[in-house]
Amino acid sequence: MQTNADATTPLYSWHKANSAKLESFCGYHMPLWYSSVKTEHLAVLQAAGLFDTSHMGLLHISGSDARELLQLCFSRDLRACCRGGRASLSNGRCVYGVFLNARGHVIDDAIVNQIEKDQYLVVVNACMAPLVEKHLLSHQEDRRVDIRDLNEQFGKIDLQGPKSALILQQVLADPEKIFQSFPYFSFKGMFADCDSSEVRLKDSTPLLLSRSGYTGEFGFELFVAAESTEALWKTLLAAGQDLGCIPCGLAARDSLRAGAGLPLSHQDIGPWPFANNPWTFALPMNSSGQGFTKEFIGGQALLELEDSPHTLAFVGQDPRKVSTDEQTTVSDESGTAIGRVLTCATDMGIGWRQNRVYSINSPDRPPDFNPKGLACGFVRVDKPLKPGAKIMLHDTKRHITAWITEEIRPDKTARKPLHEYARSS
Amino acid sequence: MKEIDQINLPEDLKYSEEHEWVSTDEDNMRIGISDFAQDQLGDIVFVELPEIGARFGKGDEFATLESVKAVSEVYMPVGGEVLQVNPELEDAPELVNADPYGQGWLIEIKPDEPSQADDLLDKNAYLAMIKGD
Repeated sequence: MQTNADATTPLYSWHKANSAKLESFCGYHMPLWYSSVKTEHLAVLQAAGLFDTSHMGLLHISGSDARELLQLCFSRDLRACCRGGRASLSNGRCVYGVFLNARGHVIDDAIVNQIEKDQYLVVVNACMAPLVEKHLLSHQEDRRVDIRDLNEQFGKIDLQGPKSALILQQVLADPEKIFQSFPYFSFKGMFADCDSSEVRLKDSTPLLLSRSGYTGEFGFELFVAAESTEALWKTLLAAGQDLGCIPCGLAARDSLRAGAGLPLSHQDIGPWPFANNPWTFALPMNSSGQGFTKEFIGGQALLELEDSPHTLAFVGQDPRKVSTDEQTTVSDESGTAIGRVLTCATDMGIGWRQNRVYSINSPDRPPDFNPKGLACGFVRVDKPLKPGAKIMLHDTKRHITAWITEEIRPDKTARKPLHEYARSS
Repeated sequence: MKEIDQINLPEDLKYSEEHEWVSTDEDNMRIGISDFAQDQLGDIVFVELPEIGARFGKGDEFATLESVKAVSEVYMPVGGEVLQVNPELEDAPELVNADPYGQGWLIEIKPDEPSQADDLLDKNAYLAMIKGD
């Protein structure tokens, strides 16, 4: 991965002034936590959290052949990727998928936002915009496409948690109109080069507001011009103060996304075939499940794949983790080594009771439920294992027991309808 | 994250270079981790403590602290026999963060050689070390 030496986001001064524990992530000085990771993790489950995600990459792809180039390079079939595959990607909709190389290995994962049929915003991971741009250009041929890296021009803030809508209702101009018909994985507004953004703050700052996120919980991602980022951050914090909204660092982002079953690019998906993992919904499978609905870069390699390791989610018995270095191994119940650990984090909002995992948000949780958290993440093993299969994870210090699962943190809220969380006028 | 001048370092304790503290005012010694260490580790979510009666030499690993970020070992600043372990930490590991010198103590030992504590750092020497002086 390329890294930027000593890169900062528009919020760096704020993080420093507010005692964040900073750590270099892909060359960016990013907050790991402010006061307490556990408090931050639980705030997103129960109230709201603000994340600086300005280190993410953003490509603007336009031109009459932009859609055709994305159809060739992006894993989703843009003709059938919305409403459970029944609808095409349309203006104001976004979709998650991956960019693969010809061998079917992951270059990066991304969210593609359609502004117009010939205009897209592609959100990629930190430091990855140049690589994805290079990949797209290498397949451009004579297609009429213009690609611009917006890295220096934008800031990004994720507002996540059940109180997010109430906070936005305080800061947006005309929130009732914006919140009308605003489903999961759709967006409204624009943050730059735009006089007519339909989403604005009360002080008329334009922004792009997307109903998406990386925590598994109800919330939004906000894109704003770089110079307006700190003012937006402060406005959101002030509006959310009485609702329990707090700033959150990358550590809580990682524990929340792991518990939500979401992959971290270059850790859970990466330079190996994108197959046999929990995220193959991002491939354009046809109705028989045997082929694809379109031809795309990397697709043929995946169809010809004979055998590939299996990436599976697991949940542990208590908060204890193992490291994820190459010496850490996974064994099956018979003690045979079967693979390695990709992610191991502690989701602090879940715990075992009567042989099942509850979340602090589970409506049917036991009355005295006060979990200590559970280790969780993903393993990459050389044989398929069914949910409930017991595995052992071994690092140089300890051995922990875990079970394969289809869902780590139950009762997530990301897909719930907006009206359940907004104040009705 | 605390600034160095916000770190609480009681005068009456001795500190190791690995960030443990020892109380030396009685025959038996209590051991824990410093305010600086808990602040660096972040939230402690699980504490593994030794059995009562276990014996460790100076410098031996006797406990592990699971923080959100990592698993960290804790080493004996003075060798001895474990007389007590803090029973509260099983249910409330966060006490190590909230009150590292009080309710967040880890173990109490009968030291083999109490004079081993003389080699440890006092408050000022420890503060100089964490400042990087």
